Amino acid sequence: MPCERKPMRYGHSEGQTDVCFDDTGNFIVTCGSDGDVRIWESLDDDDPKSISVGEKAYSCALKNGKLVTAAANNTVQMHTFPEGEPDGILTRFTTNATHVAYNSSGSRVAAGSSDFMVKVVEVSDSSQQKTLRGHNAPVLSVTFDPKDEFLASASCDGSVVVWKIEEQTQVISWPLLQKSNDVTNSKSLCRLAWQPRVAKLLAVPVETTVQLYQRDSWALVSTLSDDLGTQPINVVAWSPCGKFLATGSIGGLLTVWDVEGKLCVDRQKHEKGYTVCGLAWHPSGTQIAYTDTEGCLGLLDGLSSSSSSSTMAIKSTKSYDDLFDDNDDDRPMDEGVSESGSPAKNLVALDDEDDDDLVPATGRARNRSAFLDDENSLDPGSLKLGLDKLGNYEDDAGSAIVLPAASAAPLHPVYEGPMPTPHQKAFQPGSTPAHLMHRFMMWNSVGIVRGYNDERDNAVDVEFHDTAIHHAMHLTNSLGHTLADLSHEAVLLACPSTDELASKLQCLHFSSWDTNKEWMVDLPKGEDVRAVCLGQGWAAAATSALMLRLFSIGGVQRELFSLPGPVVCMAGYGEQLLIVYHRGTGFDGDQALGVQLLLFGRNRQQVIQGEPLPISRRSHLSWLGFTAEGTPCFIDSEGVVRLLNRSLGNTWTPVCNTRDHCKGKSDHYWVVGVHENPQQLRCIPCKGSRYPPTLPRPAVAVLPFKLPLCQTTTEKGQMEEQYWRSVLLQNHFGFLSSSGYEIDEEAQSRAQKEQQELLMKMFALSCKLEREFRCVELAELMTQNVVTLAIRYASRSRRMALAQRLSELALEKANQLQGPEEEEEPLQYTRRNTGFCSQVSGGTGRSSAGGQPRATNVLDSMTSSSRKPTVLLGSSVSAGKLSKTPVLKPLAPRPKSKVPHPDRKQILSCYYIPVALWVKYHVFVCVRPKTGFQLWLEENRKSILADNPDLEETDVIKEAMGRFRNLSAGDRLSWTERAKGDEGDLKKRKRAEESQGDDNGQNHSDENSAKKKKPLDTSAKLSAFAFSKN
Amino acid sequence: MDPSEVEFLAEKEVVKIIPNFSLDKIYLIGGDLGPFNPGMPVEVPVWLALNLKQRQKCRIVQPEWMDVDKLEEIRDLERKEETFTPVPSPYYMELTKLLLNHASDNIPKADEIRTLVKDIWDTRIAKLRLSADSFISQQEAHAKLDNLTLMEINTTRSFLLNSLNCMYKLRSNLQPGSSRGKSQDY
Repeated sequence: MPCERKPMRYGHSEGQTDVCFDDTGNFIVTCGSDGDVRIWESLDDDDPKSISVGEKAYSCALKNGKLVTAAANNTVQMHTFPEGEPDGILTRFTTNATHVAYNSSGSRVAAGSSDFMVKVVEVSDSSQQKTLRGHNAPVLSVTFDPKDEFLASASCDGSVVVWKIEEQTQVISWPLLQKSNDVTNSKSLCRLAWQPRVAKLLAVPVETTVQLYQRDSWALVSTLSDDLGTQPINVVAWSPCGKFLATGSIGGLLTVWDVEGKLCVDRQKHEKGYTVCGLAWHPSGTQIAYTDTEGCLGLLDGLSSSSSSSTMAIKSTKSYDDLFDDNDDDRPMDEGVSESGSPAKNLVALDDEDDDDLVPATGRARNRSAFLDDENSLDPGSLKLGLDKLGNYEDDAGSAIVLPAASAAPLHPVYEGPMPTPHQKAFQPGSTPAHLMHRFMMWNSVGIVRGYNDERDNAVDVEFHDTAIHHAMHLTNSLGHTLADLSHEAVLLACPSTDELASKLQCLHFSSWDTNKEWMVDLPKGEDVRAVCLGQGWAAAATSALMLRLFSIGGVQRELFSLPGPVVCMAGYGEQLLIVYHRGTGFDGDQALGVQLLLFGRNRQQVIQGEPLPISRRSHLSWLGFTAEGTPCFIDSEGVVRLLNRSLGNTWTPVCNTRDHCKGKSDHYWVVGVHENPQQLRCIPCKGSRYPPTLPRPAVAVLPFKLPLCQTTTEKGQMEEQYWRSVLLQNHFGFLSSSGYEIDEEAQSRAQKEQQELLMKMFALSCKLEREFRCVELAELMTQNVVTLAIRYASRSRRMALAQRLSELALEKANQLQGPEEEEEPLQYTRRNTGFCSQVSGGTGRSSAGGQPRATNVLDSMTSSSRKPTVLLGSSVSAGKLSKTPVLKPLAPRPKSKVPHPDRKQILSCYYIPVALWVKYHVFVCVRPKTGFQLWLEENRKSILADNPDLEETDVIKEAMGRFRNLSAGDRLSWTERAKGDEGDLKKRKRAEESQGDDNGQNHSDENSAKKKKPLDTSAKLSAFAFSKN
Repeated sequence: MDPSEVEFLAEKEVVKIIPNFSLDKIYLIGGDLGPFNPGMPVEVPVWLALNLKQRQKCRIVQPEWMDVDKLEEIRDLERKEETFTPVPSPYYMELTKLLLNHASDNIPKADEIRTLVKDIWDTRIAKLRLSADSFISQQEAHAKLDNLTLMEINTTRSFLLNSLNCMYKLRSNLQPGSSRGKSQDY
């Protein structure tokens, strides 16, 4: 509903004014504090007719050729219209009347007065009066129910009251307004309005919003509010059709609402920002006349009462144009940001000067309708305005383009599909908007960069959290820097280009050991810096030419490359550079962002190659950075914090929603840092805004992480959440160690211990709930030691079936542990290798494998060929998350790898005498290192076999046991001793055996089974693997 | 007990500081403090906070109650009520003095806070004097000291006890004296 704002006209002297149309709409009637009523034939009427009604006129109303005014002589007078002859005095008060209003038929007049009374007077017989008493302060405004049953009034005592006229009683009273002692002191005139025709709604301006109350139930149906409206609303008026509501506010903001859709369909600003105190709709609904406290009269023309959804949609795109357009410095701070779930709120109508921002489609459509207009194809709506209006158009230079939407709307090629979202502007994470006079240019884990830009000073303050890094700095900002980043080594500042000066990059390299601690670079003409960031030993700047320029921290130009789209923001950490850019255009409020992660280390590579950034719907990016441990992380405007999960193919996992912690709806947390160990989200609570002010100095608060798992109110859900959070947040250990950093081994083992404890607790819980299958699933995530515990737990709680399954599992785990050591079969080796790789990337790191669940290695080795490609990409699936069919396990742990497979099984079964009966024994064997007997058996198996070649495997053992018993006590003791002392050189011995080329299957498998019972130190195994690999 | 001793006790109260240095946990007899991370608020006793502040090693975050609005509320309540109202901190006077003297640059509206706390203090001391007066004039044997802080009790203690002693002496002297007087009369 685009409308034209006509230039203001001087009408009255300074002071309160009121305006109304006559019934035909041919005249505008205004009254003002000069005591005159003026009758304008049109806005351009140079000689309006004036009627003097008193010293001052506060309010006027016109109907059926009778003009009623509230004047300063404590009377409500009547004049004939348009002649302006005095027609008697309707009623008197003890002090002046403040507002007068006609009912819909024009038979009655209501008047509110400063003597706290409201009077209802019959126009035909002024002796018939009804007095409504009950207000405790001057009456601000009155309005009739169109059905003549009720009357609503607002008063300085803060109440809005609905009266039953006939009974002169209060129906309901709402304490809505701010109290004051007089109309002149009241913040708002609070001109109420009752919906015409249907009379269903009563509109009450309350502060910056309009509240709509339903007739009869008197319930608050809805509230019309608008982010732009920061000033109290003075006056509301319904369109004659009752569909639209116009509001005028103190700051001069005129808003037109579609009440049903609660949409703001138009918004105009008073050209000088004066307070609007009078508002009236033309009877045809196409014009709104308004007056201000400076006595001026204005007109909005070209309003259409048939607002189609398409115009609405176009309006919404316009508003998004505005959304990220921070040219308007007078905006409230968080206005440029969409509120969650209420797109209607974001509808920002354009001021005239924003017209060039229109999406092309709209502009074209408008122009075309202008041409059509030239061909005299005016629609009835504008014809109704009277022919004299046409003359006005011709006078106005801009009138060719701006045309009543009433004519434009039906001619639009209606597009009702999804509307593209304007691109989010580039920003520096950790900065507040650039249009603020005092703002944070950067707040990160190193320090704070503040920018001041007021009349006195244009300066940049750099302050370090840790003064050991550097003392605080104060720089004059003569270049007008708007972007900043701060690291342990340097401060990087950048300014956009101006007409004369090129865009500049300035670096204060304070950690430099020479005396020259500053360098500056001019960008090529026409190229603007959009985002900057600092890493360790490098600086990066993304420019408007879709280029990324790298510099060394000393000022040497390094690589440069093109970006796939306009940059949104960047972050650097050590050797990592994270870039977020626009991948394309999003629709319906969504942003289409892509992300790149580059490594500048020894092996330069692109880790994330322009993948889409998963951001909440209808939100935009609000923070991007790395955790203190170097994991990429970002936060969107919905407050969701997402962390890169390197162990799950570089996916993004939501770890926290800051909005969950906010008390109020408009409160936000402004994030300044993320730490994985300890798990902390460092942020600044902002009450009622998105950004903190620089003064008073905001204090940092800490939020915990919480994965949005299901049912976290239950014990199970809580433990699952804790477990996966712990797993996720210790991923960085793997990354750090693999990229050659030192890691805090203690913290890592603590985290792993915590995970295993949680697994055990969950295991116990599932046991209690008789969920044995689930128990096994959990056991698969455990380390072998913990599985042993689990077995013990299961057997103690008399769950033999479970214990049996677990023991099989433990066996496989033990197998897997040894897997990497064996290299005699090339095929098998490659398979193991993949399995192992996946473990490493699974987060445990090369040097420590204790905590990571090993169970899936079974599956790994079985399906490795199909999964190899992903492994090679360095992005294997997290070991624990694989779901597997448990059927696989009992069947064949390693289908092809072992030649004498069935035999081996038999051996196993003989070591592990029926589990259900011998669980304790089983556990014993399972965890124990080799016994002396086993060692002896290994040595002597061949001789036994030689003696009795036809023996079954079980018989071999029996035979061996017999022979072992026959040994002398001393011999047996020595074997036992050997078993104890042997662990260390076991591998050596094994290799020696292998080198003998003894490929006797049975012997071999036996050896394996023996080793199974002895969980080796994990790291020793891994290192052994590394060794044998070479 | 003199005021400096009360102040000493007040220094054991904890206050939040934002250190600008990095230090691991320190283990003291009174408990562990830290770890200190630059930029992260941490709670330490007032004595340490002041020490660090004097060495420019931290910024002090004012206690929650040290806020103009809250103090105004307390002052108004204090003026309205006949009896003593609960104070925001048992050492409000000492803490205000300590923090404002040493860290007024970290506390917005320091002057207003100083005035408000002084107002509260004056109101309470006036009440205390009044009640001490009525205590003596009505010859009561005991009085309730609800919601009084150590410092407040301390300001009146020595004087009140001394004067009570004096009065006791005077009275007890008076009685034998009067009996003597009587005897003399006879």
